[in-house]
Amino acid sequence: MQQRNSDHTNRFGRRPFLASAGLSAAGLAALAGCLGDDDSGNGNGDEDASGNGSDDGNGGGSNAAGSVAAAEPLASPVDSSGVSWDDLGDLEGEITVYSGRTRDQIDLVFEELENEYDGFEILRDYDDNDVQVNQIQQEGEATPADVFYSQDPGALGAVHDMGLVQQLPEDIVDTVPESYREPDGYWTGVSGRVRSVFYNEDRLDETPFDSWDELPTDIFEYATDDRFEGIISTRPNSGTFRGFVQAMVDLEGEDATRQWVSDFMEQDPDLFPSGSDQAAAVERGGDDDPIIGLGNSYYAARLVNEDPDSPIRVTFTEGDAGALFSVAGIAVTNEVDDPELVAEFARHLLAVEGQEFMMDDNGEFPVVDGVDYVGPLPGPDELNSPTYDLSEFDMDLQEANEVLEDEGMMPL
Amino acid sequence: MKSLKNAIDNAQPVDAVTERLERADPWVVALGGASAFVAFLVVLPMFWLLWQASTVELSRSVDLLLSPETARITVNSIGLMGFVTLFSILLGVPLAVLTTRTDLPYPRFWTVVAALPLVIPSYIGAIAFTGMFGSGGQVDSLLGMSIPRVDGLSGAIFIITLYTYPYVFLTTRAALLSMDSSLADAARTLNAGPFEAFRRVTFPQIRPGIAAGALLAGLYAISDFGTPAFMQASVFTSMIYWEFSSFAVEYAALLALQLIAIVAIVLVIEAGIGSDEDASGGVGARAGSTIRLGYWKWPAMGFVSAIGALTLVVPVAIFTNWLIHSQGDPIPSLEFHWEFAYNSVRLALLAALIACLFAIPVAYYSGRANSLVSRILERATYIGFAVPGIVIGLALVFLGTRTLPSLYRQGVWLLVFAYVVRFLPQAVGTVRSSVLQVDDKTIEASRTLNAGRIETFRRVTLPAIMPGLVAGGVLVFLTTMKELPVTLMLQPVGMDTLVSIIWDAQDALAYRYAAIPSLILILISGFSMLVLLRQEGGKIS
Repeated sequence: MQQRNSDHTNRFGRRPFLASAGLSAAGLAALAGCLGDDDSGNGNGDEDASGNGSDDGNGGGSNAAGSVAAAEPLASPVDSSGVSWDDLGDLEGEITVYSGRTRDQIDLVFEELENEYDGFEILRDYDDNDVQVNQIQQEGEATPADVFYSQDPGALGAVHDMGLVQQLPEDIVDTVPESYREPDGYWTGVSGRVRSVFYNEDRLDETPFDSWDELPTDIFEYATDDRFEGIISTRPNSGTFRGFVQAMVDLEGEDATRQWVSDFMEQDPDLFPSGSDQAAAVERGGDDDPIIGLGNSYYAARLVNEDPDSPIRVTFTEGDAGALFSVAGIAVTNEVDDPELVAEFARHLLAVEGQEFMMDDNGEFPVVDGVDYVGPLPGPDELNSPTYDLSEFDMDLQEANEVLEDEGMMPL
Repeated sequence: MKSLKNAIDNAQPVDAVTERLERADPWVVALGGASAFVAFLVVLPMFWLLWQASTVELSRSVDLLLSPETARITVNSIGLMGFVTLFSILLGVPLAVLTTRTDLPYPRFWTVVAALPLVIPSYIGAIAFTGMFGSGGQVDSLLGMSIPRVDGLSGAIFIITLYTYPYVFLTTRAALLSMDSSLADAARTLNAGPFEAFRRVTFPQIRPGIAAGALLAGLYAISDFGTPAFMQASVFTSMIYWEFSSFAVEYAALLALQLIAIVAIVLVIEAGIGSDEDASGGVGARAGSTIRLGYWKWPAMGFVSAIGALTLVVPVAIFTNWLIHSQGDPIPSLEFHWEFAYNSVRLALLAALIACLFAIPVAYYSGRANSLVSRILERATYIGFAVPGIVIGLALVFLGTRTLPSLYRQGVWLLVFAYVVRFLPQAVGTVRSSVLQVDDKTIEASRTLNAGRIETFRRVTLPAIMPGLVAGGVLVFLTTMKELPVTLMLQPVGMDTLVSIIWDAQDALAYRYAAIPSLILILISGFSMLVLLRQEGGKIS
């Protein structure tokens, strides 16, 4: 691993991820202080992977096109200790991926896989995550997609609920801790992402907060503390935001969540249609732009990557839905042409190299225990994310939506 | 633009219409059939909307439709459409008069400047403007002073107007060029002042042209998603998108139907304004004398330049700036390839071609048959233009996978069809205007000289409507080049176009990658605009 790390650094260059000022070594130490002790509580290590579980009537595996769960590994299987690409079978052929993630987030992995294997091609379709779910649903059996690569468990849960996806092979299911996947292996997380609070470092002096460590570590204060009035923002139409709301419903109860949404709306927040726009506005720092934002940490990471002098920084709440650790992941449609290839592709994403790309390029977290964290943010252990089992996260999005609609939080 | 009002005013009993149709020769019946077929095809996706909406429980749909939120959004949407239409007329008509009827120096150049904003997708304009203005924007950092931010409903009205007024400019200009301006001269010799002559003689003649452009601008405004979303204005498209992104497709469909209902009302109202009794300027349209601007030519040029600077220089400068100051790690898949431009041009050409083919029977039938049926068929083709692209896209995903799975995302045909559904009215409108200007007597003359129907069409009618066809085709080409949601949803997997790269670059905050495709998009579209204007210019000389 250590060797690989240095290798990796040389190959892709170290990213100045939020490191130029606030989150340099000293900043990180301070941040760790802010984050409290390292009770990760992500449910890691729960290896109770029943794998093939009961078929809950979703029709997975029973398709004419081919069962991915039954596809034998072409070489070694993956496991939770971190398997290298070298140990896996070759990829050969063509697969179609519908991606709800953006190009810059996953294309490097795709390119690397295509470079590694001459006869392998990934046909990519990029669109909005929600559009992809709707599209896969409308397409039904006619879908050209083999794999749906989504940015949040809600969307993956949705295609699962619609019976559009099938189980993954047992070794893959066993590799990923149960909290990061669907219990029966109908979808799996590939990388972790965390909800965060981002802020414009240069503009904190315009706020009653003198430094970032005065920012609350309790997500409720962001809704009730009137010091945030007029300077806070979020993006209500994102899957991860809805996931955050759903997690809050589960952790704190529906009434408390409604209260949070309603209080938050009292802050006169800026509501953005896209996470990129939101982060860009926090970074831009005009008088009308928000100074604080609730969003996924990697948006800030990308801005810092584009401009090392960017004033945007992130911090995290502690032990509540505001620091929800969630995953981006894949599900395999019922209509795959080449089950072995699709399964092997999934193995590559969960092997060491696939995981490291996600950390290094996206500022995300590994979902495989045996892969060490190499990214620029505090490690998963340092995050005090709430104990939350994503597999129980059935993401009844309609419930979260109703809370949002009832409390008047429309995206625009 | 043909008038439904006419039809309603002169409504004939159904019997009479039927009788007339029965007496009509097979040629007209065939034309009507073709026209009906086209209308059916483009309205087809709306059946998916009906079907989806019908799955919503009645009580829930009533709640949704009558909620205060819906009311607010309806008011906002109508406001957006109304003001964009109004301001587009206020900008487009004077610009058209300036470039055709006055001695403004370099009229060609100013015409291009005034028309060119149409080639820039309004969401690109929105991105550029929010980057440029507002505190923290580039103007702010440059001048060290705050300029009000462009956002909200007023911001959306501002931006959409800037990029859609050319519809009014172009149609009004075409009407001015084809009308017989010697009438205005006659009015002047009868001692009417220039404004009096304009109001009493010119305006009634160009009114259908203005109305045609205003309708396109208004419909574009109400169906635009990107700009209101970017400006954080709550309108129908954003609410539809919200329901849609909550996986509540059926609610989105319900709202889309409500949007269509509003649009239908607008179409009827517009039909009343755009009556075409005066549209035929006669074949021998002569250029009348021009208005001498004198010293007014300076403010006039200043006016056009200011608009050009706002709409064209700002975005181009911002994109160029992004290009020059690019930094950050490379993102290989956003790297520009000429293939993107090739794909965009090919798709847009196909869409333009097919839209023209579809437009001929509809426009010809409604222009000549002048019946209630022909008008309804013509109006039906406008519906797709007002429905947000994302809704059309999803409808065709559904219909495509069920009816023609072998074509679905295997080639470009479904995508091209989606463009035709969206943009057909632009071709129908312009072709119809030129059909109205074909003098009946010419056709009769041709027939008396023993030319057959087809020969007459080929030798007399087609050349006469060619300007309209080209104009319509170019408009379809331009709008297809910049259409986003439909492209993203229906393009063959793995195929990229200029707009899909621009959008993804914007989404990834890697603006530098949006620069080259945006500049090329503007360049190609600008070139096609030249074709349009040159061809118009040829008509007067």
